[in-house]
Amino acid sequence: MNNKLKVLRAMRNWSQAELADRLDVSRQAVNAIETGKYDPSLPLAFKLARLFDMPIEEIFDDGHEGSDND
Amino acid sequence: MTETRNMKRPMSPRRKRYAAGIGLALVVGAVLGAVMQRGETGDGLTIFSNAPLTPGFAAGAAILWVVGMIVSLTMYHRAVDDHEERAYLWAGLAAWYTFTLSAPTWWVLHRASLAPAPDAMLLFAGALAVNLIVWLWLKYR
Repeated sequence: MNNKLKVLRAMRNWSQAELADRLDVSRQAVNAIETGKYDPSLPLAFKLARLFDMPIEEIFDDGHEGSDND
Repeated sequence: MTETRNMKRPMSPRRKRYAAGIGLALVVGAVLGAVMQRGETGDGLTIFSNAPLTPGFAAGAAILWVVGMIVSLTMYHRAVDDHEERAYLWAGLAAWYTFTLSAPTWWVLHRASLAPAPDAMLLFAGALAVNLIVWLWLKYR
């Protein structure tokens, strides 16, 4: 899953370690999310959304356009 | 911003619990290994042999292992983030598959006199090695 975490972090001039501290996760977790090797759990995704004050779908992109009601 | 980047940040309660859990597991392992090695009688490493032990030492080592592991693993699992928890779960699964493939294979070959008797500690060490490799790969790749 693609995400804008690296860009959002860079806009705030935060290091991976700094973001990890704010989320109370390891630096490796932040790196794994940024590089797309790991998709965060829903609670962590909500935490990210609250931290950046953005909806989850603006941070993460699963490659699907619009709503999936089919 | 640069100042906050370079500042030494205090450890969060979660990271303190994490460090304490890992530290306790290392201390338990080091104490057990050191005490067993001090009683070495052969040429190799006593901790990896099947040499006899005194009942008192064996009972003490077993209690230390079980209690130490339960306490340190409880601390670890209460402190890990979900990225590491996922790495731990996949590593545990890989270790379990290693054991389920190797133990019955070795056992059945032994019954046909095609292999020596299965060695529980060797099976444990093999599964543990796989566990460690997968955990390290998933956490640090």
